Amino acid sequence: MLARHTQHKALQWLGRQLFNRNDPEAFFDPLLERINPMWVQEYTPARVEQVLSETRDTQTLVLKPARRWTGFRAGQHVNVCVDIDGVRHNRTFSLSSSPLLWQEQGLVTLTIKRLPGGLVTNWVHDHLRTGAIIGIGEAFGDFLIPEPAQPVLFIAGGSGITPVLSQIETMAASDYRAPVTLLYFVRTTDDIIAQERLLALEARYSALTLQIIATNESKEPRYLHDRDLDAVPGIKARQVYLCGPRGLMDLAQDLLRERGFSDADIHSTFFSVAQADLGQETLGGEIQFEGSQLEVSSEGDATLLEIAEAAGLTPRYGCRMGICHQCSCRKTTGTVINRLTGQASSPGEENVQLCISVPRGPVSLDL
Amino acid sequence: MKKMTEAQLTELETDLNAIRDEVLADLGERDARYIRRMVRLHRGLEASGRLMMPFGFLPPVFVAATTTLGLAKILENMEIGHNVMHGQYDWMNDPSLHSQTYEWDTVCTGDSWRRTHNYEHHTYTNIIGKDRDYGYAVLRLTRDEPWKPWHALQFINYILLSVFFQWGVGLHELETEKLRSREISWREKLPFLREFARKGGRQAFKDYVFFPLITFPVAPIVLAGNVGANLIRNLWSSTVIFCGHFTQDAETFTEEECEGESKGHWYLRQLTGSSNFTGGRWLHIMSGHLSYQVEHHVFPDLPAHRYPEISGKVQDVCRKHGIHYNTGSFAKQYGTVVKRIIRHSLPERMVGFFKAA
Repeated sequence: MLARHTQHKALQWLGRQLFNRNDPEAFFDPLLERINPMWVQEYTPARVEQVLSETRDTQTLVLKPARRWTGFRAGQHVNVCVDIDGVRHNRTFSLSSSPLLWQEQGLVTLTIKRLPGGLVTNWVHDHLRTGAIIGIGEAFGDFLIPEPAQPVLFIAGGSGITPVLSQIETMAASDYRAPVTLLYFVRTTDDIIAQERLLALEARYSALTLQIIATNESKEPRYLHDRDLDAVPGIKARQVYLCGPRGLMDLAQDLLRERGFSDADIHSTFFSVAQADLGQETLGGEIQFEGSQLEVSSEGDATLLEIAEAAGLTPRYGCRMGICHQCSCRKTTGTVINRLTGQASSPGEENVQLCISVPRGPVSLDL
Repeated sequence: MKKMTEAQLTELETDLNAIRDEVLADLGERDARYIRRMVRLHRGLEASGRLMMPFGFLPPVFVAATTTLGLAKILENMEIGHNVMHGQYDWMNDPSLHSQTYEWDTVCTGDSWRRTHNYEHHTYTNIIGKDRDYGYAVLRLTRDEPWKPWHALQFINYILLSVFFQWGVGLHELETEKLRSREISWREKLPFLREFARKGGRQAFKDYVFFPLITFPVAPIVLAGNVGANLIRNLWSSTVIFCGHFTQDAETFTEEECEGESKGHWYLRQLTGSSNFTGGRWLHIMSGHLSYQVEHHVFPDLPAHRYPEISGKVQDVCRKHGIHYNTGSFAKQYGTVVKRIIRHSLPERMVGFFKAA
């Protein structure tokens, strides 16, 4: 997942001949790591240059990726891998800096909030220090600002501000000539991430209208309201970008649809992808793990990954949210429902992502 | 085999599961550091062996290069490849150490190995007629197998098998005995043969064509050294593996006594069908900890470097249940293997004749 994909075919062939692997350059990683950890080839090493405190539960990591990293566009995310007590964990985070910072100084930032009970985010806060090296993958994602310029409305909540920061900073630097509005929802004014950066942007980028709304500071919670949308000039012509917690996303989508927005004009990024309502489907079934000669049955909306793990198998996995394809596995027969989209697969042989595939009836896997 | 009641077998299962659970709960940084250290050592050995080889026209360098490359192959096959493919390090979620995708530096494909070894051998251990690892369908090692005249020459077969061990292991899944008896057809084995040819070709290309060619002026020396390194690995891995199940006291089982067996019975079979040998730390590492074959067969997916640590507890469990824990020095155990091969090359009445005389 974190491997580089631009590999020469001949190199892959030679890698198989000499080292029985497609990525021969990673064969010597264990030695390279000892000499200089930034030379590791399996993933792109990135050194933590600085750790900045944003709020009481949010930090920004300033990272210096190895020079071979191919960069990113504002609004994209990266997979990050860290080893915690011997176990490699992969997580996806949005890049919160502008691509200009990478081009000019070779730096990128990730802004990470502690999630309650979150293994990786808490570890990052408690153990990751300046000088440490983590692995990153190539940037991906299509949460991108419109080109050429169009009026834009961002609705962000909590740590969902991270890709938006990157986008607005990029717009400001390129003098993006269209009205830009940001409605930023935070629980309290103490929870505003990157407040100084946002205020500085507002001051120097005249196209930007910034509104920060604290939801939990009055007696009644102050959520997104139709009035907020009414107040956005020329809202009908805006491209809308949503990033934040589930409740905010759902509310915003409903309000926008009522106003006649089409899906093409609403852009939302990964951690807000709505889970499809699987209520009406009869889910579960007999799962056959062919490689392990094992058969188990499941009920309800357990995913194939959860079912496999419950059966004592240890398939590879990464993000556990349908992003990284680390857990992709050959399904030989059977139908699965994609937990994110609610769509049923074809019944035939194909690759499925175990972490978001819920069986509907019997399923056979090459696992 | 020692007879135990179902209640005793359940108790055995509980005792062994407790050892297993304790290790599982403790897996972490230490195990990751260990296996990564082994991988690093392998890369170092392999790189230095390959780099020294072209200077093999100096005899001491030739010996050093060949030995180094041989040790690299042994370490990769035994302590890294075999153990990784058992899933001992799957919990690390490191794609380069994952059981289902690891491909090792030997002729046998990882997929074929996972089928014949991880599944067949470790499930049906020492059941005559089901565990095809028992004598590899070449050697007669138990009275339960009827004697045939060609068994008389099986010591020669044993030597040949050891010398060409990686090719023997690679072809294991061909099931030549079933092809001969026409139980299966060559056509069914075509996909396997294709995979075998691909991997075998790759291994031969690397050691016998590629590296000699890129060092052209000294090609014969590099070729000879690579042959030597493969030979060292073949002889050593064959010897270690034979010590694991073919020693004097390692028991065999019949299909009937294992029909519908419980987990406790499976444990008992692993304990009595395997044998250890003693030695220093590096002897254990270079045997992939198969010197702790008993522990390995009871817990095939626990990181192998843990076997020495839990061996005492496994021995306690054996003592408690009155089960023989088969161990001895390397020389003693191997001696009984050789004796076993020779003894079973003779028909039973001849053995009786010799005993009487």
